[in-house]
Amino acid sequence: MNTKKLLTTAIAATVLMGPALAVAEDMRIGITQNNVGVDSYQTTYESAFIAAAEANDNVRAVVLDAGGDVARQIAQVDSLIQQGVDAIIIWPTNGEAVIPAVRRAHNAGIPVVVTNSNIAEQGFDFIRSFSGPDNVTQGSRSAEIMCDKFKDMGIENEAKVVQISGQPGYTTAIERAAGFEDRLPEVCPNVELVETQPGDWNRERSQQVMEAFLTKYDDIDGVYSGDDNMGVGALNAARSAGREGIVFVGATNFSVGYDAMAEGEYWGSIYQSPVDDAEAALQTAIDILEGKEVPFLNYFDTPKITQDNMDEFTRPVF
Amino acid sequence: MANTARQKILTVVGNHGILIAFVMFMLVFALASPKFLSFENLQSVVRSSAILGVMALGVTFVVISGNLDLSVGSMMSFSTIVVLDLHDKLGPTLAIPTMYLMTLGLGGTIGFLVGYLKLNSLIVTLGMLSAIHGLTLTYSGGKNMDIDDKSGTWFSFFGQGEILGLPVPIILFIALAAFLGILLAKTPFGRKVYAVGGNATAASFSGIPRARTVFNCYLISAFCVATAGLLQASRSMGSQNTVGQGLELEVLAAVILGGASLLGGSGTILKTVIGVLILGFIQNGLLLIGWPFYIQYVITWIIIILAVWLDISVKRGKFWATV
Repeated sequence: MNTKKLLTTAIAATVLMGPALAVAEDMRIGITQNNVGVDSYQTTYESAFIAAAEANDNVRAVVLDAGGDVARQIAQVDSLIQQGVDAIIIWPTNGEAVIPAVRRAHNAGIPVVVTNSNIAEQGFDFIRSFSGPDNVTQGSRSAEIMCDKFKDMGIENEAKVVQISGQPGYTTAIERAAGFEDRLPEVCPNVELVETQPGDWNRERSQQVMEAFLTKYDDIDGVYSGDDNMGVGALNAARSAGREGIVFVGATNFSVGYDAMAEGEYWGSIYQSPVDDAEAALQTAIDILEGKEVPFLNYFDTPKITQDNMDEFTRPVF
Repeated sequence: MANTARQKILTVVGNHGILIAFVMFMLVFALASPKFLSFENLQSVVRSSAILGVMALGVTFVVISGNLDLSVGSMMSFSTIVVLDLHDKLGPTLAIPTMYLMTLGLGGTIGFLVGYLKLNSLIVTLGMLSAIHGLTLTYSGGKNMDIDDKSGTWFSFFGQGEILGLPVPIILFIALAAFLGILLAKTPFGRKVYAVGGNATAASFSGIPRARTVFNCYLISAFCVATAGLLQASRSMGSQNTVGQGLELEVLAAVILGGASLLGGSGTILKTVIGVLILGFIQNGLLLIGWPFYIQYVITWIIIILAVWLDISVKRGKFWATV
């Protein structure tokens, strides 16, 4: 929060010192975030965004946080329109409810970039670009990681897999599950996905789901979780039940997942850096303002990480 | 004659309607899934219900005293995050009592506001729900909290350890339930709790200190929440800031399902324990049967309504209410 204050002060100072310092090509970019502080990903995202904006002399950023509140986010977009910023970046608190505000920005001639999680399709006409991870690709990459491991172990013809998905109804959860379910039969046609249950992005809930799976199925060779936080919950359940040799694959590599990989208990995940996420969003906005061609779905790369290549990645901060 | 016999049977089971509902659901689930009644499964359900259960024990006191506690979910997140953080800074021996003191401080604050200042408990604890969440986030900076050296500490004992083959969370849950059950049913303090919740005016005319009794109920609730946080932290050795989010309603559901009145004055620890077990076994049973999960929310609700209906039907001797 202090950095935010500092930045605001810095901006105020720059404005007060007048035109002497203001360069002609200054870009004022406003961002309204979803809920900083609710998790480490969003906290790190904010500091990375501020750092990236400070590093660029031509950019002046107005950093706002909706605190998870839709009404507050809509008010923030309106206030950014009033301030006449050159571009607005929004991390939607709700993919449907923010559309009217986004349309107002669009009508005021301000380009809008959606970051991290997209808004609903009926709002696509009012935004210039979505910058974020491709969840479907993440799901299919997780399927590939798991299949490759089964092939190494020589069990690609009989392995049985369970899935612990994210919160029902969340786009990220649905897309990752779809990517995984579509890709797995393509790469490993004989591997069977026996059951899917939601872990609600919650480690404790995921542990309970995995306990039930272990009771129900005597033979589980692989577990795919919608993120590492849930994956570690599932790992805890298997560990306390004394079930070994299960291949755990997740998505969004968390530090707990990274550590479990280092200990050889967790096989792989998808590396999604909040720093890349924040920098990609800012860059997308800058590119649009500089008149460059920007794809509508501007995905940043989220590579595979496994025990084999994990030393190429730094430990996640969240 | 036949009618009086029927009445008699109904009075006998009348106090145990919820128990009958419980046994019925267990039978249905056991028929639907062969593994449901296996010892491992029963044990794992009771173990994972222990966290919710320990919280429900404390909330039972608050509800019987005629008040509500909607802050227990975020208070549990607070305890979990604090004890995990202090574990690496102070070591487990100091971290645990410090966390208990901090949580009791929060409970004491609520108890003071509701008991001595006589503010509405719904408003106070609903506000505390977000205020404590804010405190937790400020404390942790929004980051997940994890114990660094997970294998080199005895801290895992509470959530993962065993004594004579029985998981420690279950033992703690049973011990705390027995202690609080006796406190509520057999001591002067327990009778004061019922009196204050049943009729506060009559209680104060009888010289029962309402404020102090309510204050103590919130302290008991906070103590239980701290224990739940300890179990949670020790079970997963790391946590999100939102670990307890939403639990306040599940806890309240368990207490009410057990038959405590939201208006105060009635309820027992044993019935709360049954309420907790019903919720735990519904969740587990649905998982084992493996129905599509979107519909599980609806089925959970139907089962709860059926249980409450059965309980109340047995109490009044018929299925329908007479106008």
